[in-house]
Amino acid sequence: MSTNLKGLKAKKFFPILSGRQAAFDAASPELAKISDNAMGLAKKLHPKRQYLKIESVVERGEDCRSYTLVPDTEKATESLAYFGAGKYLTVFETIEGMPVTRAYSISSSPKDSLEGKYVLTIKLVEGGLMSRYIFDTWTVGTKVEVSAPSGNFEYQPLRDAKKVICLAGGSGITPFVSMANAVNDGDEDFEMTLLYGSRNTDSILFRAELNELVKKCSKLKVVHVLSDEESDIPDEAEKGLITAELIKKYAPADEAYSVFLCGPQQMYAFVDKELEKLNLEKKYIRHEMFGEFHNPASQADYPSQVPDTVKIKVTIQDKTYTVEGNSADSVMQTLEKNGISVPARCRSGECGFCHSHLLSGKVYVPKHLEYRRLADYKFNCIHPCCSFPLTDLEINVPVAK
Amino acid sequence: MKIYDVIVIGAGNGGLAAAATCAKAGLSTLLLERHNIPGGSASSFVRGRFEFEPSLHELAGVGSPEEVGSIEDMFNRLGGDVDWYRHDSTFRLVVPAKEGDEDAFVNEDGVLVTVDARMPVGFENFARKLDELVPGSYDSCMKAFDLSERMFKAFECLDDPKKLPGSLKDVPDIMRMVSHTMKEGLDALGMPKKAQDIFSTYWCYMGSPGSKFDFLYYMCVLHSYVKNGTGIPHLRSHEMSLAIDKVIRENGGDIWYNSEVTKVIMNDGKPVGVVINGKKEVYGKYFVCNSSPNMVWNDLFDKKDIPEKQIKMINSRKIACTLTTVYLGMNKTKEELGIHDYSVFIAPDSDSDKQYEAVQNYFSGYCIINCLNEIIPDCTPEGTSQLFLTSMTFGDVMKDIKPQEYKKFKTKVAKDMIETCEKALNISITPYIEEIEIALPPTFARYLNTPLGTPYGFMLEKWDSMLPRTVQYMKDQPFDNFFFCGASQERGDGYGCAYYTGEKAGGIVVKKMKEGK
Repeated sequence: MSTNLKGLKAKKFFPILSGRQAAFDAASPELAKISDNAMGLAKKLHPKRQYLKIESVVERGEDCRSYTLVPDTEKATESLAYFGAGKYLTVFETIEGMPVTRAYSISSSPKDSLEGKYVLTIKLVEGGLMSRYIFDTWTVGTKVEVSAPSGNFEYQPLRDAKKVICLAGGSGITPFVSMANAVNDGDEDFEMTLLYGSRNTDSILFRAELNELVKKCSKLKVVHVLSDEESDIPDEAEKGLITAELIKKYAPADEAYSVFLCGPQQMYAFVDKELEKLNLEKKYIRHEMFGEFHNPASQADYPSQVPDTVKIKVTIQDKTYTVEGNSADSVMQTLEKNGISVPARCRSGECGFCHSHLLSGKVYVPKHLEYRRLADYKFNCIHPCCSFPLTDLEINVPVAK
Repeated sequence: MKIYDVIVIGAGNGGLAAAATCAKAGLSTLLLERHNIPGGSASSFVRGRFEFEPSLHELAGVGSPEEVGSIEDMFNRLGGDVDWYRHDSTFRLVVPAKEGDEDAFVNEDGVLVTVDARMPVGFENFARKLDELVPGSYDSCMKAFDLSERMFKAFECLDDPKKLPGSLKDVPDIMRMVSHTMKEGLDALGMPKKAQDIFSTYWCYMGSPGSKFDFLYYMCVLHSYVKNGTGIPHLRSHEMSLAIDKVIRENGGDIWYNSEVTKVIMNDGKPVGVVINGKKEVYGKYFVCNSSPNMVWNDLFDKKDIPEKQIKMINSRKIACTLTTVYLGMNKTKEELGIHDYSVFIAPDSDSDKQYEAVQNYFSGYCIINCLNEIIPDCTPEGTSQLFLTSMTFGDVMKDIKPQEYKKFKTKVAKDMIETCEKALNISITPYIEEIEIALPPTFARYLNTPLGTPYGFMLEKWDSMLPRTVQYMKDQPFDNFFFCGASQERGDGYGCAYYTGEKAGGIVVKKMKEGK
């Protein structure tokens, strides 16, 4: 077939080559800094690390404290990363030579971060390594290293209903305090009804702050749900547990609503069953992460005849270590207990930050913590934070930065 | 002290291909990646019960069962295990009518449009369909494909610069194509304007408008899509990246994730090693770099060590487009949503230059909507589907956005894109969104570490297009033991292009090692 490009000149190519060289020659020899705001925002919102120090500590009852963290300018953190209400910070500590991380929801308002302030509210967990350490050592002036704000437990107006029933249990109140502040500040736009489960009046966290917010903002409503029948139940509070009936009582009758949950694992187990009775669309139910999982043998699908102790041979960059651990501990816990630092963020399977290669051996992953990518199964990749060894293992783990 | 034969900086598609090529040839190879997984753009992420494809639209290089394409061929050669799903249509272009458009008509979806073109695979089919939509365009369309057929033969000489000028002189039409823009080329072939508009739908894959890139480059892209159709990996592009990861390891290569190169160590005017995460040093004889040159020269080198030409090169080029993508996990099937196409390009105007003008503004009415379930029916749980919407912009569109405004801005952009699709296809999306993730240029900047967050490298303008870049590749490299690969190089953006440049850079290192240089 004949083509008819004859009207076009063929010899223009070589001028293009010399023209290209001429364009390079004519350009400035000065190296320009990358100053665009796409990269600027990426760096401001997702700093690799934030170096902070404790400005103040507030006692919230016997076993809970709020720590106000401000930038540690000596370590070159000048300002704090802004965040969407509901996000968490991963705290990095070294306890007796053992690197440990924990994710804590930010309880302060996103707006406060612009003035250089985050608040982490931490409950002392019985037998908890990190919370014990924090209670023993964090005081005004203590330097603390944290991640960028992370997580997906946030209100999303294109996905969530305009009305949200928030279900909090115990210290699971923290992201909701941030959300309530964000609604009050106008940073988030939804109607929030908070059903907050506590044991008794004394164990309610942020009671005064929440009252204050409710007075100021018509989009907020708080209902205390107190489980300890013996104690005085104030008039405005409900007695018992967060049941389907209770949710129905406060949910809009004739329009869609979302349910957000944050609390201990026992609460999820109970409330999830209650929620089933309400027949909500899946899109309207959102959980904050489950937190670090222990005792895999409690799961119905956990195999039998798993040895108590296992050997893990781990390669990180050009170093290989062999350590021994308990099969009841996650791969990540065993490595940390042996002084080996591994990348960690959510410690609940979800974020995938600890993504690693399993070269040999078998692991058990509780179903509800299964957030691996499909190709991870095909190529034997695991999230060590929620993988429990069933045999001796050989793994390749990225270095902790 | 261990000295690697080759250190590859960055496990994007280019870096993966380079490291696999080197490891496979027996070179001691270290691949360094700042993130915790391989692939760069070629990855995936999980939200709720959905696993999303972050960047891949389709691969022209998978080919057909009868004729293996360049990408599948590379995976076969390397021994990378990927389960390919093939697809036998190209694109659908829908241009909703504006007030006063005289050529408007109501299409099958009940939408008033000026263009609705669903284009098939195969040159003959494509040309017939184009002729049906714009009578009188068949001949010019077949002529264009005839040119690209011949052009591909000349391409085989592309990687041998010594042979190139001679072989190109034998094909004057190829020279004409390189020397002129797509628009000039199609005009010369006598293609009617409206047919040209449909024909040039893929301009956005190039990251620059039809009046800027050369005719040859566009024909190269369109040809590869129309010839054999396209394919994608079954398990998102994370499958492709992990498959190459495995090839590298099985061939004795090392891959270190979470290991960001923060400095290149120089000795006697040549790179000899790298610093990782600001603390650990590793040494190597050769280097392949999959990072953006802008970042490399700014962050990894002292000013005194940078060849002046490299700075002049980045200063003379324009950064290509940036993307905005909305990922949607839907709680309805594609049938329930009323979606029947894998890929629909919705444009505010049929003319590609006018589309280019429109996308200078964030809210342009330009949006590509893809439904992965069209190709991989089981890519989401039963009763659900996943969509991704893509739009593009140029320049620092984020310049006025403060961190505290960013979330609201993201939501506004996503809402605009969703509504553009809802109107253009006369469907309802918003009520059925179960999961949503919105990626704007800062998201891409964060994951890809490129200026403006571009995944596309530098704009492939006529003066700096594929052919001139290929011919001058060796001259453009900064040191005789340091080679760039990836979207910033010869072929610009795209998985196939990045793999190609990585394999080529890896091949150069293998050859030099064998020659004992």
